[in-house]
Amino acid sequence: MTTLTQSRVTAAARAAAPARTATGRSARRRATARALLRRPGFLIALAFTGFVILSALVPAWFTSADPYATAPADKLLPPSAAHLFGTDELGRDLFSRVLHGGALTIQATALAIGIALVGGLGLGVLSGFVGGWVDALVMRAVDVLLAIPGLLLALAIVTAVGFGTVPVAVAVGVGIIPGFARTTRAEVLRVKTLPYVEAARTGGAPWGRVLLRHVLPNSWGPVAVLAVLDFGAAIIAVAALSFLGFGAEPPAAEWGTLISAGRNYLVTSPWLSLLPGLFVGLLVLALNHLARTVEEVGR
Amino acid sequence: MTLSRRFATLASATAVTALLAACSTAGATGTDPTEDAGDPVSGGTLDVAFFPDNAAFACVDPFQTYWIEHRTVIRNFADSLTDQDPETGELVPWLATDWQVSDDGLSYTFDLRDDVTFSDGTAFTADSVKLAFDSGAATLEQLPTAYGAVYLAGYDSTEVVDGDTVVVHFSTPNSAFLQGTSTTNLAILAASSYQATPEERCLGDVVGSGPFVLEDYSPGEKTVLTKREGYDWGSELREHSGEAYLDGITFTYVAEDSVRVGQLTSDAIDIAWPRNPISENDTALIQSSGDSVVSRSLPGPANTYYPNVADGKILADEQVRLALQKAIDRDSYASTIFGTEYPAVTSIYDTTTPSYQDHTDDLAYDADGAADLLDEAGWTLGDDGYRYKDGQKLTLSTPVIAQFSAGDQLIQDQLKAVGIDLELNVITQAQRSEVLAAGDYDLISTYYTRADPGVIQWIVDARYAGSQAQAVNALTADQTAEVQALLDRGTTTLDATARSEVYAELQDYYLEHALAFPTFERVQTAGVSAAVHGFRFTSESFGDFADTWITP
Repeated sequence: MTTLTQSRVTAAARAAAPARTATGRSARRRATARALLRRPGFLIALAFTGFVILSALVPAWFTSADPYATAPADKLLPPSAAHLFGTDELGRDLFSRVLHGGALTIQATALAIGIALVGGLGLGVLSGFVGGWVDALVMRAVDVLLAIPGLLLALAIVTAVGFGTVPVAVAVGVGIIPGFARTTRAEVLRVKTLPYVEAARTGGAPWGRVLLRHVLPNSWGPVAVLAVLDFGAAIIAVAALSFLGFGAEPPAAEWGTLISAGRNYLVTSPWLSLLPGLFVGLLVLALNHLARTVEEVGR
Repeated sequence: MTLSRRFATLASATAVTALLAACSTAGATGTDPTEDAGDPVSGGTLDVAFFPDNAAFACVDPFQTYWIEHRTVIRNFADSLTDQDPETGELVPWLATDWQVSDDGLSYTFDLRDDVTFSDGTAFTADSVKLAFDSGAATLEQLPTAYGAVYLAGYDSTEVVDGDTVVVHFSTPNSAFLQGTSTTNLAILAASSYQATPEERCLGDVVGSGPFVLEDYSPGEKTVLTKREGYDWGSELREHSGEAYLDGITFTYVAEDSVRVGQLTSDAIDIAWPRNPISENDTALIQSSGDSVVSRSLPGPANTYYPNVADGKILADEQVRLALQKAIDRDSYASTIFGTEYPAVTSIYDTTTPSYQDHTDDLAYDADGAADLLDEAGWTLGDDGYRYKDGQKLTLSTPVIAQFSAGDQLIQDQLKAVGIDLELNVITQAQRSEVLAAGDYDLISTYYTRADPGVIQWIVDARYAGSQAQAVNALTADQTAEVQALLDRGTTTLDATARSEVYAELQDYYLEHALAFPTFERVQTAGVSAAVHGFRFTSESFGDFADTWITP
């Protein structure tokens, strides 16, 4: 505990110290990394997230079962060594389906976060840097989007765009753009007034260079934390939409679809819904923990 | 010379064989609510939870609706001229005490009861019958696709002979009409109902003479029936002809199967009435809480994929269709999706349909045979396990509703074994008509319930079909000519045996050319609370609650 607190203090002290030189910056990074690696919770969360992402990319490394092969004789088997998560109502291996479904869910979430990052950063930087009526216009539009609950907005979009993994990703991504735009704008407004930006402007640097070299790199830190935090939220949103049946075409199944398909067996074969649900829950918890820890240590 | 009621008995005799088979599929597990359980007790309200209401067409008008759940509602608030015995298929008197059919099959004379009144107090007379049929014909002029079309095909006029005798005239014979008079679709309503527009009738402006009165219909929310005081003209198929034992019935619409079952096992409702059969697991759950599951095959076309054989579609090739027929493992489908006890489908009709023929052999699973046929047709296996021809992948698309796609996913995997890629295009119930109109499918699943084989016209005969586009796509021009000729022979043949032969020929034709791919026998199941007694399935497997009572 003492070491932990000490390291946090050191890290905080280092972070607070002006770190303009290259050596200072990398030293600070090393210190942050050391501080992070000393936290067991962080390590577990990191390991689980790493496993999920890896298994989503190459599910064949972790399971040899075909996620789409039905086996009527083996339907609704409880979890066992042969079937880690049991089998579903058509006898398909649930663990394999969760891992293969992970690829779809992670893709959709990554795409959603990508859309939110690009859109949010773009709008936020534009709004904060240009200011004036552009700022007013963009922020009022963001206000409108913020006024509509995220899931409702996503539902409206997915109904208009159609069903499938990409439409779900777009819907969720657009739904979380406003948060990113707001955060970025606030950071840009703060960074914009710092002396080194003024110095660069006075020194005759074109505004594009100021924006890309000075404002953007120094304002996107909180946005990155927000991205990791929202990754968890986006997974839940993607799962919610696929739970409602807007996800990929069967037999492919996103996590939400798996939870949804199992709900008719909740009393008799609870693992069908609960295990995929637990999987999603743990991943979101892990991502949240990662983001919070990074934010805490980095402060 | 006219044939007496004996003719009707003869006409229904065809049904007997099929219906005898049905008896074996009808039954109950757990304590049987259809059996005698002491003296009935009056009072109490029956709570029934249905599958969701029709989002595309909310309707409780007997003549227009096709929604199975609403036909159960109608059976309880409106009476018909005749009633059909679910076990023998025989027609028995109800509002009509006797009837004769002319030799040419063009006129039907009904003698009517003179002691019947509608719930608004008006008397049931010969004029009521004339008004009901004339209004049906008038509704058809406004809405040609109304569901009553098949029931009244060839209708000309009704002649009132005296207060309790009518003669119904047809311009072309309609051999299914007599059975039609026993259905909810041709139930007789009071004159006030026919003054309302078809839309108003759909939304609940209907007055019948049944053991219950339609109190309230809130589409998608609930339907409330209350007991009809002084009812005394139930058909002989009911245990008693008098007033219902229940004070009323409340039907609610519940989307989730699991919620409905949960409501039943926690005694929040008395009957859980799903659309698709209750699963093996849920049956066990219901029985373990002391309740029971009743079941009976729904007569009419089975749950079937109908192909799109329009030019340019893969299924225009008969070889591919025949291969597809062999590639579906129906035994495995029934046991996997619905449970080991569940019957596999054996024809394009369910077993309780009159004129049903057992075609188990034509529908046998034969993956190797399917593969051979596809090879012959020029579809060769590619490296990815699917078949290709001239660079085109053997992909068949079918629209599915996400909630019910488990069976389609099983068939998808069965077809994959022979190299056919079945694409499941997830749509909502409301998008179905769009998909049909655009012809954007290779297979589409549908069914219809009526205890007469001629009702298949509602699906495949463009002249009567509910969906023109689907009927047109389901057959090529040549096939349309042959099928329509057969169907016309079916409706004009009065002799029961001859008529049965026509429909046997139709089933042969359909399976010989693989124009329909039956997937499962439709069994109506209902979870019934242990406190409920005197429950009865009608000949069309709807619920009749006139005899039902609840242990206080």
